[in-house]
Amino acid sequence: MNKLTLLICICLTVSFSSTSQNTSKTPQKGHTDQNKFRQLKDLLPTPSNRRTASGAPGYEYSQQKVDYVMEITLDEANNRIYGDENITYKNNSKDYLEYLWVQLDQNKRAPDSKTPLSTSEKLSKSLYSGMTTFTKSNLKKPKEFGFNIEEVNKVDGSPLSFYINRTMMRINLPQPLAPNETFKFSIKWNYLINNSVKDGGRSGFESFPDGNKNYTIAQFFPRLAVYDNVEGWQNMQFWGRSEWALEFGDYDVKLTVPADHIVEATGELQNEKKVLTKTQRERFVKARNSFKDPVFIVTEEEAKVAEKGSTKKTKTWHFTAKNVRDFGWASSRKYIWDAMAVNINGKTVMATSLYPKEGNPLWEEHSTRVVANTLEEYSKMTFDYPYSKAVSVHADRQGMEYPMICFNYGRPNSDGSYSERTKRGMIGVITHEVGHNFFPMIVNSDERQWSWMDEGINSFVEILAELDYDPNFYTGNLPKDIVGYMSIDQNNLSPIMSQGDYVKNFGPNAYTKPAAGLYMLRQTIMGPELFDYAFRTYSQRWMFKHPTPADFFRTMEDASAMDLDWFWRGWFYTTDFNDIGIKSVKKFYLTDQPSKEAKEQADRFNLNLSDYEGQLVYFAEQKEGEPISEKRAKDFGVIKDYFETMTEDEKALLKEVPNFFYEVTFEKPGGLVMPIIVELTYEDGTTEKVTFPAQIWMKNDEYVSRVFKSVKEIKSFKVDPDLETADINTSNNSWPKKDKSRFRKFKSKIKG
Amino acid sequence: MILFKKIVLFLLIPFVSFSSHKYYVSLTQIEHNVSQNSLEIIINVDIDDLEFTLNKDYNIDLKLTSKNELVNADSYFKKYLKEHVKIIVDNKNRELNFLGKEYEGDIVYFYLEINNILKPRSFEITNRLLLKYFKDQQNIVKAKIESRSRSKILNKNNKIALINF
Repeated sequence: MNKLTLLICICLTVSFSSTSQNTSKTPQKGHTDQNKFRQLKDLLPTPSNRRTASGAPGYEYSQQKVDYVMEITLDEANNRIYGDENITYKNNSKDYLEYLWVQLDQNKRAPDSKTPLSTSEKLSKSLYSGMTTFTKSNLKKPKEFGFNIEEVNKVDGSPLSFYINRTMMRINLPQPLAPNETFKFSIKWNYLINNSVKDGGRSGFESFPDGNKNYTIAQFFPRLAVYDNVEGWQNMQFWGRSEWALEFGDYDVKLTVPADHIVEATGELQNEKKVLTKTQRERFVKARNSFKDPVFIVTEEEAKVAEKGSTKKTKTWHFTAKNVRDFGWASSRKYIWDAMAVNINGKTVMATSLYPKEGNPLWEEHSTRVVANTLEEYSKMTFDYPYSKAVSVHADRQGMEYPMICFNYGRPNSDGSYSERTKRGMIGVITHEVGHNFFPMIVNSDERQWSWMDEGINSFVEILAELDYDPNFYTGNLPKDIVGYMSIDQNNLSPIMSQGDYVKNFGPNAYTKPAAGLYMLRQTIMGPELFDYAFRTYSQRWMFKHPTPADFFRTMEDASAMDLDWFWRGWFYTTDFNDIGIKSVKKFYLTDQPSKEAKEQADRFNLNLSDYEGQLVYFAEQKEGEPISEKRAKDFGVIKDYFETMTEDEKALLKEVPNFFYEVTFEKPGGLVMPIIVELTYEDGTTEKVTFPAQIWMKNDEYVSRVFKSVKEIKSFKVDPDLETADINTSNNSWPKKDKSRFRKFKSKIKG
Repeated sequence: MILFKKIVLFLLIPFVSFSSHKYYVSLTQIEHNVSQNSLEIIINVDIDDLEFTLNKDYNIDLKLTSKNELVNADSYFKKYLKEHVKIIVDNKNRELNFLGKEYEGDIVYFYLEINNILKPRSFEITNRLLLKYFKDQQNIVKAKIESRSRSKILNKNNKIALINF
């Protein structure tokens, strides 16, 4: 070690120990591990042979199977649905089940529902009221909604004991159902259909002025709840917000509707010849070979004729579906129907839309094409879409998903004109709802418990699909779009990892924040290649299974060799926000004269700098108003001499000698840790982006410093120049401080 | 499910808990410009909610951001802002000059200005934006003088922010 290096070493060691001296007088208290990078051991469940530590299903993983055979009748005149339902329940677990739980979602709007009683209300805040509102909020009688359960029978037709607790029905089994055994039973039921526009709801009907109706029907039959080793029976009540947990199974459904209705549903149509005309079938053949443009099965002219008629006759549409978790359907005589083929990795899938004339011109232009684009883009990110079709049905106020079919809003004004927002809303909702085929219809998470696992993950893939459909699409789900939400009062925030029913500001919490977080993970933290492989691994490991948050978090790390516990903890388990800024920038120049500070530093070690004359390079801080004796690197004899002692090979390993040194201290008022992305702008106007990983905050959660060494002078530094990290306060992101505010930019723009 | 916000749902079935994909937040930023002796104000509001409110209150059909947007939309914006945002600077009620607006995604940005403000010390900001139909609306108010910032969150129960520097 030569003397020079020794000197530097001493300085470093001594300054280190001097800062670590304890100067406070009160005794300090110890603490447990509170580091932002500590592992998630305290939050994730213990891995098991059912759910492994790698995030994959284990060798003992099992799930139940439920098959349904149903005969359904729609009574259009009275808006009632009647059902005969035969259920086959297969117990694939190793447990004996004393009872089964069945979900009765229609009971959420029954007259005795507790949902309306579960919110706080006040009169004193609205002391005036129009007559419509007054009547509706004070005089309305509850309607007789809710399931009317007529019979619950064993296979031999004898009654089966049951008990209804609001939206959950317990089937009391005659004897416990043994592992690998099957139990068959039947339920006969009916219910009054809600007007989804007036009464609200994710399914129901819309009534048109001419008396016609558009039925978009779901949650229409008693459905088995999920039994697993995570929740036992997932039988939390349906309060209205947090959605469903459902088992996979095979469906055989006959839908009897007015003979002039057009019907689409989950599954494959079994009796095409009986329900479709010859012309319609011929057009379908064309559609199956049309990969570019949709083909009309029912044209607008034909739909306009059909909607003027009515009939007492009925037709039965027969659908079957394998390995689906639910069943939805739509029926109306108003439908225009179009379809096109989509090539998913060599397999043809049908993209289809049903819409009344009121949906045009938007729907014929975009709906089916958006369905096709969504299937393609989601398949790239996950797995090849395994079902035969995806249907988008126009509905006035809905955006709701079921296997292979979804109900979507987006209605032009009555004169056919529409705003960009209506169009964007429609493209967005179709992409979103068709995307739900992947999450949660196939990657079947528990929606009742974790809204973000389907809504958030789906909204993330939705961003990529929308940007593929239109590169200028305003997705509203990017990191910059969540800044407003993340900066509101902490009292109004909930962590993403909260059960949906009590979450505050549900939309941004369960949709935007997880979507923006995953986008950030893909674009900024992991990079698309690493992220996509891990994300695809998660999707494929859990397709047709029931993943939990831990399975997602673990798989993303397991398949990428990236420890992301800090990200999951901060973004998903807390309401912390990101705010990283530049606290100070100290500019240093090279000189052959020691500064006052350099002399003081040397004095502390009894070193006389004059002993080293001609052997040292000095750094001096450039302070305003002080003269500088700057020297460029090339003018230092000592540097030149030192280089001359080197071989050519050694010189070849060196960079150009920098002239400018900037000590930048970053501050982090925010609770989240994030990578620091810094854009440097040089004197010649060129820029460079430097990224420090989030791990830079491992040892100090408040301040970190970096030295930027440059041949060219750096004019400015800017943190997160492309708004990638949801930094809620950008006023501390620039050095020197930026003057050109949004306001001044606008003002100079309008002045021209 | 996509959550969407049509106020009709609130009025008819106030018990339905799903109502918004987005959050009901507006942001009003007030900054003192020392060299111009002025207050620079940016207010951003959700376009859908604002359009719903204006259409209902003024019995119009604005068709914002469409080709058929009402030509005099600005006059309704001015009127609405005047009726719903009030700024008292150092105990004096000050007139807001409407400079214009910009649309960006689902948000409209309004630019307003108050002239002849030398050294402001206190603001009393009344902000009733969108509160009439959106019960969960939050209106954030931020004020900045030199490098000091203060912010307040207003809502249905608290419509006035007092900010002292």
